[in-house]
Amino acid sequence: MDKKIILNRMKHNPFFIIGATIIVLLLLICFLSPLYIQFDPTVSDLANKFQAPDLSAGLSSHILGTDNMGRDVFTRLVVGGRVSLTIAIIVVALQISIGVILGLFAGYFGGVIDIIVMRLCEIVLSIPQLILAIAIMAVMGPSLSNLVFAMVFGGWVHVCKVTRNNVLVLRKQEFVQASIVLGAKTPHIVLRQIFPNVLTQIFVVGSQRFGESILQEAALSFLQLGIQAPDPAWGNMISAGRTFMATYPWMVVAPGIALMLAVLSFNFLGDGLRDILDPKRKV
Amino acid sequence: MDNKLYESQADVRETEGKEPLVRAEHLKKYFKVKKKGMLHAVDDVSFEINQGETLGVVGESGCGKSTVGNVVMRLLPKTEGSLYYRGIDVFRANKEESMYLRKKMQIIFQDPFSSLNPRKTIYHILAEAYNIHKIGTKAEIAQRIHDLCDMVELPQNLLDRYPHELDGGMRQVVGIARALSLDADFIVCDEPVSSLDVSVQAHIINMLMDMQKKLNLSFLFISHDLSVVRHISNRIAVMYLGQIVEVTDADEIFTNTMHPYSIALLSAIPIVNVGKKTKRIVLEGDVPSPMNPAPGCRFAPRCWMAHEDCKNSDPPLQEVTPGHCVACFYAKQARERSEELRKHLLK
Amino acid sequence: MSKLKNEEKVHDVAQKEKKREPLVEVKDMVVEFKTERSIVHALNGVNLTIYRGESLGLVGEAGAGKTTTALGILNLMSEESARIVQGDITYDGKSVFKMSNHELLSMRGGKVSMIFQNPLTSLNPVFTVGEQIAMPLRKHMNMKRKEALKEASKLLEMVGIAGGRVTDYPHQFSGGMRQRVGIAAALACRPELLIADEPTTALDVTIQAQILELMKGLQEKYDTSLLMITHNLGIISELCQRVAVMYAGKIIEEGAVDEVFSRPAHPYTVGLLNSLPKLTGPRERLVAIPGHVADPQNLPSGCSFHPRCANCTERCKTETPDMLSITDHHSVACFNPMNQEYNNG
Repeated sequence: MDKKIILNRMKHNPFFIIGATIIVLLLLICFLSPLYIQFDPTVSDLANKFQAPDLSAGLSSHILGTDNMGRDVFTRLVVGGRVSLTIAIIVVALQISIGVILGLFAGYFGGVIDIIVMRLCEIVLSIPQLILAIAIMAVMGPSLSNLVFAMVFGGWVHVCKVTRNNVLVLRKQEFVQASIVLGAKTPHIVLRQIFPNVLTQIFVVGSQRFGESILQEAALSFLQLGIQAPDPAWGNMISAGRTFMATYPWMVVAPGIALMLAVLSFNFLGDGLRDILDPKRKV
Repeated sequence: MDNKLYESQADVRETEGKEPLVRAEHLKKYFKVKKKGMLHAVDDVSFEINQGETLGVVGESGCGKSTVGNVVMRLLPKTEGSLYYRGIDVFRANKEESMYLRKKMQIIFQDPFSSLNPRKTIYHILAEAYNIHKIGTKAEIAQRIHDLCDMVELPQNLLDRYPHELDGGMRQVVGIARALSLDADFIVCDEPVSSLDVSVQAHIINMLMDMQKKLNLSFLFISHDLSVVRHISNRIAVMYLGQIVEVTDADEIFTNTMHPYSIALLSAIPIVNVGKKTKRIVLEGDVPSPMNPAPGCRFAPRCWMAHEDCKNSDPPLQEVTPGHCVACFYAKQARERSEELRKHLLK
Repeated sequence: MSKLKNEEKVHDVAQKEKKREPLVEVKDMVVEFKTERSIVHALNGVNLTIYRGESLGLVGEAGAGKTTTALGILNLMSEESARIVQGDITYDGKSVFKMSNHELLSMRGGKVSMIFQNPLTSLNPVFTVGEQIAMPLRKHMNMKRKEALKEASKLLEMVGIAGGRVTDYPHQFSGGMRQRVGIAAALACRPELLIADEPTTALDVTIQAQILELMKGLQEKYDTSLLMITHNLGIISELCQRVAVMYAGKIIEEGAVDEVFSRPAHPYTVGLLNSLPKLTGPRERLVAIPGHVADPQNLPSGCSFHPRCANCTERCKTETPDMLSITDHHSVACFNPMNQEYNNG
C-alpha cells in the first residue's frame, strides 16, 4: 500500500496512536534505563526495606518505594521491563517466523504437508500452553534460552493456523488463478499475491501474541521458573510482593500496572494496524 | 498492438488460414469424490475455434462448461484428451512453449470482486504480467499500461486506485486489459457479465466485441445466459452433464434446434413477449449432478420425448445437417416438435 | 394482429382495475439510511399502488430501492439506520407505520408474505420443511401441530413436492425445491399479497421455468396479489399485468406491461430495453446507457437520470419531474418522454 496513505491513516486512528504511544514510552523508559537509574536493582539494602513511594527528590528518591529487600521498585521495574520486553520481542519474532512459514506451506500445498502440520498443531495444542511451558522449564532448567524455547514451542501454533486458514481461502480466489494463468510460478504467487493479503492478519495476531508472551513470561517468572531472583522481571516481582500485598501494595501494584499497560497497548496497536492496513476501510 | 515488448522465437509461429487456432480433442475431466465415486465433470468434449471466431458454450449448473474453461487454461489438470494451440500440444508443452502459451491464451473471470488482488493498485495488477515474464524496462511498462488503458477506455487516473474503489463494470474492464496485456489472441471468457448490473453488461459486451474485431481475437465464451451468448458467438455449443449435446451456428441453434434439451432450454427462457402467450416445455425434476453417470443418454431420465433405446446406448455427437452436430437418436423428431414452439420466439 | 391483442390485454387491465380496490398504497415515501460517512437516499418519493388480485412487476437495477420498498410494506426497515423522512404506506387503508405490534405480527405471514432471492439461506436448517410451513399456520390460523403438518403436506403437493417429504430437512432439497418450499410457506395462510424478491435469480434457467409456471398456476387459482421484484423484464412480461420501473429511489414509469414494453416512454426504460441482447432478430450493436448508475449517496440534482439522458434539457437539471399520465394505463415521470413504438423482436 502507498506509504503516504498508511502514514495518514496512522495519524487518525486512535487505537493505533494510543497503543503505539504507550509502547514507545515503555520501550524508551525500559531500554534507556541504564542511562538514568540511580539504584542497583539486585543489591539488597535491608535497612531501607518497605519504604513507601516518595517523590520528593525526583529520581534520587524511591519514587515507587522499595521492596522487601530494600531494592528500589522503580529501578527493578524498568530493568525488569527491559528483560520482559526483550524476551517478548524475540519470542514473538520466532513464533511468527515459524508459524507463517509452516502456515504458508500447509495452506498453499495442502495434501500431506497440510496433514503433517495440522497434526503437529493439534499435538501441541492438546496441552495447555502454560502447563507445557512449565513442564519444559522444569525439565530443562531455568535458563534464558530455555525460557524462549518453551514459550515459542507452544505459541507458534496459533500463528500457523491463522495463516493457513487465510491461505486456504486466498488460494481459491480468482486473482490467484489469474496470476497462474499469466505464467507466475509458485514462489511468485505465494510471496507476491498471497502473502500481502495475509499480512494484516499476521500483524493482528502478532500483537496478540506479544501481549500473551509478556503475560506468559510473567507467569513463569511468578512461578520462579523464568527469570530467577535476584534479577527482576515483572512476574517475579509480583510473586515476591504477593505476601506483602495488604501492607505494602506498591510492590505488586507497580509491576501489575506495567503488565496491564503493556498488554493493553499491544492489543490496541494490533486493532489499529488491522484497520489501517485494510485497503477497503475508508479513512 | 505494435508495441513489441517481447520477441521470442516461439512468437514467430504463424498458422495459415485453414488450421483452427485452438483445437480440443476428447477432453475429459473426472473428479474422484470420497465414498461417492467419480464425478464426470467433462466427458469427451471436442471443439475447434478459428482465428477471430467466438464459440459460445451454454448450459446449466453441473454441465461442465466452467470446468472446460479451467482445463483449457490448465488451471485444472486434464484426465484425458489433447489441446492444440497453433499446432502446439498444450498439455505436453515444454518450458519455453508453456511460457509462450501463457501469453497467448488468457482468461477473464466472472467475479469482478475476487479476480483482482485487493491489496494492489490497478497499475500493479496490470504490470504483473510484465514482471512475471521479466519484460520491459519500467518506462516501457508504464507506456504499455498507458496504451492498454486507452484501448479499453479505462481512465488513466484509476491506475493508482485500489479495486474496491472501482465499480463492478470498471473492475471487469481491468480484467479485460489484464488478459490483453501480453497480446493474447485466445481468451476464455467465463461468465464475464453475469455478475454485472444489466446496464453495465451492454458496455462490457460491446467492448469485448470491439476488441475482437480490432485485434482479431478468438473467444471461448462460457455463459448460462443464452441471449448474451447468441449476441457474441459465431457458433454455440450446448452442454449437458459434461457433454456437448448440440453444436452449430449461433442463428441455426435458434431457428433449427434439434436436441430435446436445447429445445427445452430455449423454451424456458422468459422473454419480453408483447401480446403473445408463452408455451414452454417444462422439464421435470432437478438438474442432476454428473456423478457416476449411468449408461445411455444422460438426458433420457428428464427427456420429454425419451424412447426405450435411449437408456441403452449413449448417442454420439453426429453431424445431422452440414455444420450442425447433435447427440440424439431422435433429433429429427425433436426438430419437428420444436417448430411449434419456435413460432412464439420469432415474429 | 398483435396490435389488437395488445389492446385486449390493456382493456383487461382496465376491467380489473374497475373491479379492484387498492390493497397497498405507497405514498410519497422518502427514506434515508445513515451510514458512517454519509446518508444513503434509498427512496426519494415513491408512489405505488398494488390492487387486489393483480400482479405488479417492480423493475430496477441494484440500488434502485426495490427491496427497501418491499420491506417498507411489511414495516421491516431497520429501526436504527432507516429514517422515514416523509410519506406513508397503507395496507388496506391502514398505515403500516401506525399499526400496533399485534396488527403487524398478524399481517406478516398472514395477510402479506414474502419469498426471497437466496433459497439456501431463507430456510432454517435446523427445522424440517414441514415445521417451517406449519409455523405460519399455527401462528395465524391457530392450528394444532398435527393439523398444521397435515396442511403443510398438502401445500407441498400443491407446489409439486411429494407430501411425504414434510419430515425432510432443507439440506435434503435442491435450490429449486427449496424455493418451492418457500412458496408453500408463503402461501400457507392464503395471503392477500405475496411479495417475491428476485425469487428465481439464483436458479438455473430450466428450474426458473418450473417456478414461473408454478407461480402462474397459483396466481390463477388463488387470486393473490403479487409484487414481483426483479431486473428480468422477461419474467415480468410473463407474470405481471402492470409494471413499475424504478431508478434512484423513484418510480419513473408505470403502466400496463404490454404498453410499457411496446411504447416505453422514459429514456431509462428505453435504454434498458435497448441494452439487452435479444434472442431473435438481427444482432445489432447493444446501446449501453452512458455513465454510471446514480449513487444513492450522491444523487444528481433535478431528475436523477439527467446526467445519462440523451433528452436532457436545462429544466431536467434543476426540477424533478412528477408522474404524468400518457394514457389511462401509462404514466411517466419525465419532461421529455420518448414517443415511438419499440420493436421487441
